Amino acid sequence: MTQLLSLDFWSLVGVVAGIYAIFSLGLQLQFGYSGLLNFGHVASMAVGAYVMAILVVKASFPLWAASLAAIGAGLLFGAALSLPTLRLRADYFAIVTIAISEIVRFFALNEQSLTGGPLGTSNLEGPTQVTEYNRSWVAFQSTVQGWLHGLIGSHASSDFTMLVIVWVVVLGCLLLLTPITRSPWGRVLRGIREDEDAVAALGKPVARYKLQSLALGAGLGAVAGLLYAFQFQFFSPDDFDPLITFYAWLIVLVAGAGRMWAVPIGALIFALIFSGTRFFNFKPFTYLDAAQLAYLRYMVIGAILIALMAWRPQGLFGKREELVLE
Amino acid sequence: MTALLEVRDVVKHYGGIAAVNGATLDVEQGSITGLIGPNGGGKTTLFNVVSGFHHAEEGTVTFAGARIERHSPDRVARLGLVRTFQQTKALTRMTVLDNMALAAPRQPGESLVRLATGPRRARAHERAVEERARELLELVHLGRHADDYAGTLSGGQRKLLEFARALMLEPQMVMLDEPMAGVNPTLGHQLLDHVESLRSSSGTTFLLIEHDLEVVMSVSDFVHVMSAGAVIASGPPREVRSNEDVIDAYLGKHGTRE
Repeated sequence: MTQLLSLDFWSLVGVVAGIYAIFSLGLQLQFGYSGLLNFGHVASMAVGAYVMAILVVKASFPLWAASLAAIGAGLLFGAALSLPTLRLRADYFAIVTIAISEIVRFFALNEQSLTGGPLGTSNLEGPTQVTEYNRSWVAFQSTVQGWLHGLIGSHASSDFTMLVIVWVVVLGCLLLLTPITRSPWGRVLRGIREDEDAVAALGKPVARYKLQSLALGAGLGAVAGLLYAFQFQFFSPDDFDPLITFYAWLIVLVAGAGRMWAVPIGALIFALIFSGTRFFNFKPFTYLDAAQLAYLRYMVIGAILIALMAWRPQGLFGKREELVLE
Repeated sequence: MTALLEVRDVVKHYGGIAAVNGATLDVEQGSITGLIGPNGGGKTTLFNVVSGFHHAEEGTVTFAGARIERHSPDRVARLGLVRTFQQTKALTRMTVLDNMALAAPRQPGESLVRLATGPRRARAHERAVEERARELLELVHLGRHADDYAGTLSGGQRKLLEFARALMLEPQMVMLDEPMAGVNPTLGHQLLDHVESLRSSSGTTFLLIEHDLEVVMSVSDFVHVMSAGAVIASGPPREVRSNEDVIDAYLGKHGTRE
């Protein structure tokens, strides 16, 4: 039970929550505001992480430049995603997005010379060489850690430092997204969510707004991918399994669609459930071994989702009346 | 008088059936023109073609001198030709006021770039938009519903909202698809009064599909009758009323006159 009191452990939970919060903010913009059923959101995370790592390792980019390029690649990837929306109805678009995200993952698995293949980033320069893309990140993190030491003393471990960095980024994203979603621009997106034909009949170029929403959403996904790569120092195509997309859906639906500020709270709840199952170290859970216990979390998440849909289908912070209006 | 809208020989099929089959009509600048005809005659399809929601296989559509038959719906609307829908399209999970404000043209706040470079200008514009939206809502007696979700409005109220929302665009011409269906008669007549007063105050042109013949005949300067995808008669209401083809189309060849 000592883990329950460990600052480092909770820092890690918070870091995961923060990364998922940024990732889910992108989906919230795409789905919650624009009504776009993106079931392949994880691809934007993969694009961000891989573009950064490849540019650093293979093209010797400085980390900051590679990171900016990675976010740019995410924006472009999202913009390209809007091409199928021009012709496809919502449900078919959903199918296409999940296919695109799998194409991205299989590309990373098979294009070994570029991505390192199934072995992931450790294999970027072949199996004999140890590759690191995050040396400058580690340096940056220790600088920040130094500042934090000055502020709060020795509690500022490197995990805690990462926690602070990630949540500063979450806050920055919220400060950017809240005003734009409340602006006339956001109003057009909400109109498209309700009825894109009506919005077109009122003179708004619907396709252009969908493109912007998908691009910005994927840009946020790429930022999440960068932080993910920095935190874990290594990643492989398996990290961008379709399941990750559905975690973001879970977070958006738990929080409530169309509520930007609720997303980080949804992400915190998700991370708590996800890491909380490890504290099931009392009877009857002691009859399960560690692997079984790990699967228990999926059952708990499933049960919570079912309960939520039954009693609070609008999410924790959504308005019920928005669900019943036709 | 000059024609603001010219439709020439438009053909549009749906799955082998010619919904519009060689329709030709003019709508005069500043007129209130009625479009009547039996159900399935092609009136709404013609609206869809003119407003850019469907593209005609043949024929041309000219609005204010510009060919628009290949335009997208949003482009047609930005030219000043706005339509409403027979099945109303209220944006239900947005407030009535947001429904109205969304429709305002040329909003700087609708561009991310201009939001970033001139947020104050966007806010000032937004205040003007809101003021105009509230004025128009008062006009159709929806003022006290401004902050309600549009989805809470009745069918008739949604028709009124769509009408007011179309006016937010400051259009040259409005095409109304059954604007009075489901609206209570008193409000319906008020709506027609607004149509007439807008025409005389701003010179707005109206084309309306309506099934209540008494209403169409009383409000329109000119009437087109569509049947089986073609315009079978055109003229001032009095002439059209006594046209044999029109009576046949409505009542069938062997129908008897009242």
